[in-house]
Parts: sequence; C-alpha cells; structure tokens
Amino acid sequence: MANYYNIDDILMEEEPITSIFQVRANGVGLLDPGSESNCVEAGAKVDLPLWLAHELHLRQAVAIGVPPCFSQRTRKEVQADAACVDLRSRCPYFYELGCKIFPLVGDKSIGPFLLYTFTSRYKEILSKSHSAPVSTSPKYLPRLTQEETQLFKAAQWSIASFRKWRVGGSRLEKASILGRKRKPAAAQLPPAG
Amino acid sequence: MYGRTASQLLRELDIADSDNLQAFNSDTCDQVIAECENHHLMLQSLIRKLEGEQLDIQTARNEDHFGAVTHHLSLLRNKRCLMAYMYNRAEVIRSLRWKVGAKLPEEIQEKLSFSEKEYFKNHSAAIESSMSELDLDLTVDMVPPKDPYIQVRVLDDIGDNLSLGDHSFSLTKNSVHSVRRTDAEQYISQGLMEEFFA
Repeated sequence: MANYYNIDDILMEEEPITSIFQVRANGVGLLDPGSESNCVEAGAKVDLPLWLAHELHLRQAVAIGVPPCFSQRTRKEVQADAACVDLRSRCPYFYELGCKIFPLVGDKSIGPFLLYTFTSRYKEILSKSHSAPVSTSPKYLPRLTQEETQLFKAAQWSIASFRKWRVGGSRLEKASILGRKRKPAAAQLPPAG
Repeated sequence: MYGRTASQLLRELDIADSDNLQAFNSDTCDQVIAECENHHLMLQSLIRKLEGEQLDIQTARNEDHFGAVTHHLSLLRNKRCLMAYMYNRAEVIRSLRWKVGAKLPEEIQEKLSFSEKEYFKNHSAAIESSMSELDLDLTVDMVPPKDPYIQVRVLDDIGDNLSLGDHSFSLTKNSVHSVRRTDAEQYISQGLMEEFFA
C-alpha cells in the first residue's frame, strides 16, 4: 500500500495526531490556533496530521500520543462485540493508521488488538457482502473502515461476476465511464446558461 | 492546517470511483501552488535568519530550524498530493483509449485540462503506431470471442450505407443486424449498439 501515488495512503496520513511540541518552532503559527505570535512554544499541544507528526517525531521535535481510536474505551467496545462498533467514525483508516502509529508510540499491544478486531469483523463483512443485494446495504456499510469497505466491495463484485458467468448474457458492454446517458445526442444540446 | 487543501484534491478522486472522471480542479490546484509559494518564502526567510546568526544550517537545532523543517515537509507533502492527483487522473485517461476509443465524446472532453487532452492524443498516437507496426488491432476482442459474428441492435441512428467488413448496412435505430464481432465492438463500447439476444 505504501506507494508514493496511492490515494488511500495519502488520505490516511491526513489523520490528526495529538502532538506535544518539545521545542520552539518559528514561523509556523498556523499550527497552533492559540498562539499569538507566529510561532509554536515548547509544550504546546497541537493536532498535527500524521505526515507532519511522523517526521517531526523522528527529529525529536514533538512527542505524539496514542490516537483515541486505540484507547482503552474503544478496546473494551471491540471486545464486547467487534462487528457492531462504528470504526469509520473513529478513524476511516483504522488498520493502516494502527500499523503506522505503533512503532512511533511504542505501544506493543496495538498489533494484537488490530488483528483481533479484524478477525472478529471479517466473517461478518464477508457473509453480509455475499448475501446482501447489490443495490442496498446502507445500514452496515457506514460502520466499516476504508479498508473494510474495499474488502466488502471486492466480495460483492466477485459474487456479481460469478452470477453473471453462471447465467451467461452479454459480455460486451458499453464503457462504464460513459455513464447512464444513453444517447450522445444529449451532449449536442446547447449548454444551459 | 498545512496540506489540507491539497488533500481535498485526493478526497475528490477518492469519492468518485475509478470509472468516473471529474472535471479537472484547476482552482484547487492553483490554491495549492500558491500555498507552496508561501512555504517557499517562509523557508527562505528562516534559512536567511539562520545564516544571519552565523549558524551552520546543517547542525543548528534551534527554533528557526524546526520552523524551516515544518515548511520543508509541507512543501514535500503538497508536491506529493499534486503529483498523485495528476498521476491517478493520467491512469484513467490512458484507460479511456482502450475503453472508449480514439475519439472521446464531448462529455468527457470537457472534464480534461488542456495538457490532459494533449496527453491523451499523444498516448493514443503511440498506441496506434505500435498497432500499425504489429499490423494488429489490439483494442478489439477485449473479451475472448465465442463466435466471429454477433447479433446487434442499433440504439441510435448511426448512418445509412455504412460498410462494416464486406457488406454495407443501413444502421437505423432499433434495427437488428448480424455483423462481424470486431466491427461491432467499438460501437458497443461507445453505447451506440448493444448485443442482441433473440
């Protein structure tokens, strides 16, 4: 996944991480809304995106805390019933963030926790994606993280392809990018306004 | 927050699935570039300040150094976002040649920026010259064929007396023809015909 051009990787690095500045930094007043001069004082507590927090942490400029989605409270909820926890609202890139953050904060329990969460949610994702009709699955989908949604879509696509293969039917299709608009004639109408 | 605007570009790409191209967002791109120029100015002024204090830029670790590092990292981040935006769009644009054909319909054309149109044109020309060297049309038979002939139903008036292969057809709306599969494929992918099952 760690690819320079990967969209998910870039968006994941946008997740806010609570960081405490260990040093003063000049000219970056934007980072700390509370600061009056254009600089961040040592000891200021600021939410930095992961890409910045990570690099500054390597230079020992900030100390970073464990994100709230790996707090004891979330862990308890996951232990109670993993499949029902709304992970997306906590962090849309729950697993990827966990993998990136644990060497930084040195919390070894995050790894097993991620594995436990994934294995207990996986079965539910798979069975729902195979049984739910393709058009409707709105109740369950918003709870899934980005990674789980991709898995869900892949499973759904594979079952749809299987059905199509079994019944036969048209294999030549219109390019999906052209959308639902059937007649290109509509594009020739004078543009509105 | 630094880099927030640039990530909006990618969020936009993320929301539209890979089959769906959105109009090139030149406004946000310009904003990000302006942001980059700001970072560059700040970076330069902090470096000048360090130099003014007779400090070695390589080893100095004071407040100006960390300010400069932050701006430097933000520049790299913005660059990555812009590059990824261009790269992922270019991937979709390249696939258009295979899915839609050498001529793009108006509704897609208007979503591309000028340089993207040039890119498509050049890419398309490169494929064509490669195909003429091989003397083989690579864009047909994307799905392995079972039969060289298929039945098609015409969805829109394409034209009278069009020669497809050895025969000429009058392709009027809702007429059904038996044509060579390779000839029909481009019309199907453009949405002008569909495969017909009796």
